[in-house]
Amino acid sequence: MSKYFIPVLFLIIFFYSLIKKVKPYDAFTQGAKSAIPFAVSVFPYLVSIFVITELFEVSGISNAVSNFLSPFFRILGIPKELTKLVLIKPFSGNGALAILTEIYSTYGVDSYLARCASVIYGSSETVFYIAAVYFAGAKTKKLAVPIIISLVASFFSCVFACFICLIM
Amino acid sequence: MNAIFGLVLITSTAILIFVNPDAALAAMLSGGEKALSLTLKMVVIYAVWLGVFELLSRSGLSNKIAKGLKPMNKLLFGQLPDKANDYMSLNISANILGMSGATTPMGIKSIQELEKHPNTEYAITMFFVLNATSIQLIPSSVMALRTSMNSSSPADIILPTVLATLLSTVIGVILVKLFVKKRG
Repeated sequence: MSKYFIPVLFLIIFFYSLIKKVKPYDAFTQGAKSAIPFAVSVFPYLVSIFVITELFEVSGISNAVSNFLSPFFRILGIPKELTKLVLIKPFSGNGALAILTEIYSTYGVDSYLARCASVIYGSSETVFYIAAVYFAGAKTKKLAVPIIISLVASFFSCVFACFICLIM
Repeated sequence: MNAIFGLVLITSTAILIFVNPDAALAAMLSGGEKALSLTLKMVVIYAVWLGVFELLSRSGLSNKIAKGLKPMNKLLFGQLPDKANDYMSLNISANILGMSGATTPMGIKSIQELEKHPNTEYAITMFFVLNATSIQLIPSSVMALRTSMNSSSPADIILPTVLATLLSTVIGVILVKLFVKKRG
């Protein structure tokens, strides 16, 4: 069903533009043109985020922080096997995906840990990455408040995920 | 951002000097490579979506979507400039429909547009938090992965995921309402 969604939506848009006598080639080209400046403005921020994520991982800080925090996470109901996933997800979608796959193959794809990890992965966003991209073209550099609020909200949903997977 | 960046940069480089000095530059370069390949992927996605969006806006369809979402936007963000309301409406619809490629360009434009006006810090924060805790209706990539690893019921995570995302969005909205002042 969902595979029809985007083509049907596009068809409606194309058809409506035709009725409204929009010049489709001119309009589409004009829109596509602005993709390059977008990508150029986003690139340096992405480099910074990815460099820092990579250093965080390779230096072993990521493991150390995760070992340090896991007792606190456990009090809130987050199993120690999932601490690293919770910590990596705000930085890197690919990193989190690698951990998720590892959890699947280590503990079984239908185990509590795997289901819990799936919900954590699926319900949270890569907050730092979104911040870098969304504010790439912005003058304001006051990102602390929006980032902290998003992280706190995502953390609550991780705690909730571990709880709800116990009963569902 | 500067504080976190500086802290990780210094501590991780310092550790690597003792543990594995070769890895320091290699890690940074590999980060840069990942950023480049992602940027290249994004240029293509942006180009297609921005092309479609241009059709949307020239045909006047995006105006209609924006008008439809205006009451909800007013409730969440307060009074919005018209153009910002247009972009934000497209971003929010794309988010709800799970079209992740389409959300980003409209998100960047929304924030740029909001910035042109005074007293929009509240709206910018709320808008960012909504995107960073966004509601995903069907976690299709997770389900695909579980199916490929022979899960007996790959779909049983849908409801918990929707509930968890919904909760994070609600908490995010409440926190913004509590901690960010609405007017300058």
